[in-house]
This record gives sequence, C-alpha cells and structure tokens, in this order.
Amino acid sequence: MRLTKLNRLSNAGEWAFDRVSDLVGNLTETNLRLGVTGLRRAGKTVFVTSLIDNLLKAGRLPFLDVVASNRYQAARLRPHPDVTVPRFDYERHLAAITGTQPGWPEPTRGLQQIRVSIRFVPGSTLRRTVQPLSTLNLDIVDYPGEWLLDLPLMELPYGVWSQGVLDLAERPPRAALAAAWRHWLGTVSADLRADEAQLREGARLYTDYLHACRRSSANLSVVQPGRFVEPGDLAGAPLLTFCPLPDTGREHRRESLWALMEQRFEAYKSEVVRRFFVEHFSRLNRQIVLVDLLGALTAGPGSLDDMRSALVASLQAFRHGRSGWLERLIGGRIDRVLFAATKADHVAASQHGNLCNLLDLLLSDARRAMRFEGAQVGTVALAALKCTETVKTEHQGRQLSCVQGTPVGRDKPTVLYPGEIPDSLDLFPDEAARPYTFLDFLPPTGAGRDGRGLPNIRLDQALNHLLGDYFA
Amino acid sequence: MTETARDSASWLAPMELDPGQAMRTPVEATASGGRPGGEAAAVLGRLRWPLAGSALVGAIAAMILLGLAFDAANLLQRAFAAGAVFGALVVALIAVAVGTTLKLALDEWASLRRLRRIEGLRSDAERLGTIAGYGEATRFADSLAAFYVDRPELVPAFGALRRSISDAHDDGEVVRLIDRQVLAPLDHQAYRCVVKGARDIALATALCPSAALDVAIVLWRNLRLVREVATLYGARPGQFGSIRLMKRMLTNLAVAGVAESAQHVAVDALGGNLAAAVSTRLGQGMINGLLTARIGIAAMHLCRPIAFSPDNQPSLRKIRSELMSVPRQVL
Repeated sequence: MRLTKLNRLSNAGEWAFDRVSDLVGNLTETNLRLGVTGLRRAGKTVFVTSLIDNLLKAGRLPFLDVVASNRYQAARLRPHPDVTVPRFDYERHLAAITGTQPGWPEPTRGLQQIRVSIRFVPGSTLRRTVQPLSTLNLDIVDYPGEWLLDLPLMELPYGVWSQGVLDLAERPPRAALAAAWRHWLGTVSADLRADEAQLREGARLYTDYLHACRRSSANLSVVQPGRFVEPGDLAGAPLLTFCPLPDTGREHRRESLWALMEQRFEAYKSEVVRRFFVEHFSRLNRQIVLVDLLGALTAGPGSLDDMRSALVASLQAFRHGRSGWLERLIGGRIDRVLFAATKADHVAASQHGNLCNLLDLLLSDARRAMRFEGAQVGTVALAALKCTETVKTEHQGRQLSCVQGTPVGRDKPTVLYPGEIPDSLDLFPDEAARPYTFLDFLPPTGAGRDGRGLPNIRLDQALNHLLGDYFA
Repeated sequence: MTETARDSASWLAPMELDPGQAMRTPVEATASGGRPGGEAAAVLGRLRWPLAGSALVGAIAAMILLGLAFDAANLLQRAFAAGAVFGALVVALIAVAVGTTLKLALDEWASLRRLRRIEGLRSDAERLGTIAGYGEATRFADSLAAFYVDRPELVPAFGALRRSISDAHDDGEVVRLIDRQVLAPLDHQAYRCVVKGARDIALATALCPSAALDVAIVLWRNLRLVREVATLYGARPGQFGSIRLMKRMLTNLAVAGVAESAQHVAVDALGGNLAAAVSTRLGQGMINGLLTARIGIAAMHLCRPIAFSPDNQPSLRKIRSELMSVPRQVL
C-alpha cells in the first residue's frame, strides 16, 4: 500500500518535471502534437507521409498562409525527444510511393512517431522584434487504426461491453462470420471453474471472428479490441486471452470463466488502452479525423453505419474544448478539429462539395458536441496524394465528369465514372443497385519528382485550419 | 458493368469508359455574359444628363469646332497667299494639332476601356467566387493574364499561379489563389504608395505657409496618388480618366463607408498625439494625410480586378501610426 503510494508520488513528480521542462522548452520553441485519427485504411500513413513531404519541400501549399506570405523559412526532420517510440519511417514510405513501380506503403503494425521542425518568420511585428525566427515542432504519431477502437473500452465495464459485442454479432452480416465462436460460447458455462486452455480457445475463436470481419467485403469497422488483430509487441501475451461472454445474471464465482476473462479485460484496459491513451492521445493540441467515406459507400449501407458508430465512439475519448494559453503550454485540450473525407481524388472534382457535405451530415452530432465544448471544427474533402485527374467524357450524349488513373492491380489507366454523390443522406435509394464503385488507384508515376512535394488536394487548406494560428 | 434499371431516367450506374475519348476538364466554352449589375446600370443611366443639356453642350462644342475649322482654313489661305513656305508650315502645324488631339482622345478612350475591363473582371470574379463551379476560373486567370500582358514583373507570379492550380480546385479556390499569388504583391506596393502619399501631404500641409499653395499641393498629390495606384493595378488612366476616377472615388468615400465618419478622422488626428492638439497646422496636416490615405485606399478598392475580401482589406492602422510620427519629424 505504502509502496504504491510512493510510486504514485514519484510518478507525479516525474510528470511535473516533464511539464516543467516542456514549459522551459516552450519559451524558445513551440511544440504541437497533431493527432492523426482514423480507422483502418483511412489513409493515415499516406497522409502523414505526404504531410511531411509537403512541409519539407513547401512547393504545393499555396493556401497555407505562412507559405503564401513568404514567411516560411524551411522545415526539417529532427529526432524526437521521446526515444522509446520507433520513428515513423518516412523515407521508406516515400520510396514506396515515388518508386519506379509506385505502390502504397505497408499498413502500420505498431506505434511510430516523428517530429518535424518548422522555422518561420513571425507575422506580428512585436514577435519579430523579440524573435526574428520562430520554431514550431510538430509531433505526429502514426499507429494501426484498429487501436483507435480501443478507446471507447476505457469507459465500459466487461459485462456491458460483452453484451454490445454479442448483440452486434447476432445480426447480419456478422452472424455468419461469428458462427464458430458463437458455437463455442454455447458449449461453455461462464460460471464454472475454467483453465487457461479454455481461455485461449475462446480468444482464438474470437480473434478469428475479428479477422473475418476485417477481411469481409462489407468493410466492417467495429473490431474490438484492436490489439487482437494488430497485437504490435503484445503478440501471444496473456493479456490478449479473453473474449466477450453472455451474462447469466448470477453472481460470478472466483476463478470462474467469467471472473478470469473480466480480470484480463480490466488488465487490458489499464495496461494497454489507458497507457496508449495517456502517452499519445491525452496531450494532443490539434486533431484531424480522416474518414474513408468512399470505401464505406462502395461497401454499402451496413459498412457506413458501422463506420459512423465506430468513429463516434472513439472520438468521445478525446478532450475537446477551448484552451487558454496555460493549457496550450502544458497541453490540455484539443481546440481545433478537422474532419477530412480522404481519397477525394477518387471522385471528380465537381463532387468534392457533396462529399464534404455528406461527411458533415454523417458526423453532425460529434461535430456539435465538439463545438459545444468550444473547439473549432472544420470539414474538408482532401486527398493526401492525388492519383487521378478529372476528365470529361461523353456517354450516350451526356457529358460525364470522370476520373482517370491506373487502378490497383492493372497497368493501364482507365476512365471511371464512379457514380454521383448525392447532396443529402439519401444514399442508397435502391437496395439492389450498386450506386457507387470507387476503385482504388495506384500512385501516379513520377509523383513528387518535380521537387515541390507530393501532389495533393487541399492538404494546404487542411494544414492552414490545423496549424494556421501557430504561424501567426 | 451492368446497367441497372432505376426510376429516374437521368441516373447512371457507375462504369468504366474509354480513355481515348476523355478530355481534360476546362474545355467547354460558355458564353461569357449575364453579368450582374445590368439593371443597376440602367437605373443609373436614367440619372444622367438630361437630353437637352447634352444637346446644348454638343451644339456649343460643334460651333467652336466649326469656328476653329473656318479659322484654320482662313489662315491656310492667307499663309499660301504670303508664300508656299508659310503654307507648308501652317499645314504641318495643323497636322500636328489634329494628330495630337486624336492621340489624346484615343488614349483617354483606351484608359476608359481598361477601367471598364477591370469592372468586368471584378464582376466575373465575384460571380465565380459565389457559385461553386469548375473550369471557368482558368479562363478568368487567362483573361487576367491577358490584361496584365505588358507587365513583365508579373510573369513569375502568373507562372507560380499556373503551377499551383490543379484540376481539383474549384472556381472559388482558383480566384482566391489569383488573389493571393498575383494581386497580393500589388496590394503591398499600392499600400506603400498610399502611405507615402499620406505622409507627403501631412508634411506638406504642416510646413506650407500659404493656404492657397496648400490646397494646390493637396489636389496635385492626391491626383498623383490615384494615378499611381491605378497604374499599379493596370488601369493606366489618362488626365481626364484620373479626374473621373477621382470623382467616382469621392462619391465612393461617402457611399461605401470607407471613411467611417469625419469625426473619427478628427479623433484619430487630435487624440492620437499631443503635438497635434498643440499645433493646428500639424493637426491639419494629419487630417489631410488621413483623408489622402482614405482616398488612396478607395482607389485601391476601385481599381483592383478582384474585390478585397474581409480578411485582406487594406487598413488605415499602419498609416495612422506613420502619420503620428510626422510631428516628431517636423519639430
């Protein structure tokens, strides 16, 4: 008891020391933690790669005010002071995109972090006299999107979580994928004494089910807990051996299957989720939420709902609100959030307005909640890497706005009419028809060879919303 | 890809099409026209000179011209009677007079046309900025580049603009890009001209001993300032053109609320510095300077091919602080 107290005290001391040293650092250089939030396949890695590349070369950011007014000096990568987290492998990802055989970077398997330092001339005369050149250290964290879905777990007791997962697994399209695991649930009793083998078996079947969800063509987003499918450094740890159980409503005995699983669930929450959150998310200043709307639209209404509920649940964990100068210094709240519909290059440019609108409509509740707390919220349709060109073509006497690019897995460019995005939530008026086909395109050959940074759509406007006031 | 039946005939299923037929986006030519403001112009037209007035002026001008022609013919006859050399001389003089008059008139006409072109560009930009469309703004950029074709210092800006526009930008974004990349440097220069003009006038009024000279200097410097600003934005007004511009700007000053109020000016000038309150001459100088600054800023508003947006409007703040240093320079 006393030891834990002491431990806590020393933790607090360490925290205070960290803050003080941050504070001193802040007097000379500003640190800004940008949270790149997004579910699996939302394009976080490509976004971070393109963001860094464009900041380093600064040739394609006309809407970033500090660049437009010629105050932008230069940016470079600097080692992150936190040496325990692996560095985001910007060079390798960039090489994958810009190589002779362009392709997409591998999905992120673990946590990665990188720091970009930006030097600029301050805009206000007063600041210029004090400091002719200011430095902004931009810290960006990349992580597997699956982990984001762990955040809602922090607030849930085991029983409630189990019930939610079981309810979801009963409905199509998940019911078929969960058959084996649900069969196993029928054979065990939560109240009986259990051994390790039983736990392992349950966790294995549940993990298989989660993997099946991820692979399924319905593009399902709610896959919890995230470490089951992307274990990172925890592969094989006993922490990951639990699964949801149906609640019998009776008191659970010690050493019963339920009690063991609940214990592991709580350990998972405190050891994995809370640590991940405290170390990487609780000190964010700005946040961009990347949403792959087009992928969900292609997969159908089920996928869209799934994605929306996953996003809304994960976003509740973050602290949004207006932060004063003191909070800014010690890193308190997220005071600016940008929702971005990614992969905007998969539709013709004339559809970007509707795409942006649709994202607004889908996440209007979450946006309202953030705005209520005092954060500034924006929406944008962006493409971190522009892979296509908008072209016009004629079909049966009608002018169609299409996109032209090389789809993944082919070697010749094609012209695709992906369907029109409506300006309302009336997305799937006809169940039978497939109103949208958004193909995945390969990165363009020779991207970024002109030395101006990777071609993008509205990355500069996104950056201006997120960082603009720091460059004042 | 199969075509799926659906109620509305206009609906199309997603499909892939032949790349050979595709065209780059900004292709279709739309009729440029439908400019807003036509009605207002018609209403304003009714407010013009009454017919009788213009007939009177026209008749008098025609009489003077005819008289001049008769006189010239008379002179010519007498000169030829005196000798062929005199005749040739008079012919040459008449030719020069007619030629220069024509040239001046042509110049004025051209400058008026340029002003009109700027107005056209402004209304185009306004239309493009409000309606989200695609492909038209590149044509707007081309017409702006054509308008500034004789300005070599703007070539790099247009080059940078062309590089940063992509097919993903909508019309409003392209107009904003033009605003930032081409016009912002011009704004900067124009603003410096205005600051300088305001300072000159403040100093001149403060130092000038006679009131009549004072008025002359203020008038001359204001006209020069307006011409400088207009030339920067490519309007290139002639003598009459700049007077016209000045007239329109004075109405603008009152109407568009560029000057918040005269009393504001006085407060700026008097409350800002003790020296101004002490010396009436200095105070007058500052008031004149501020008025000049307002006129200069009004000229910027009037001559800019894209209207200022709320966040890049030139402000009087810097000019005020510049003027506040005038008393110190004088004393």
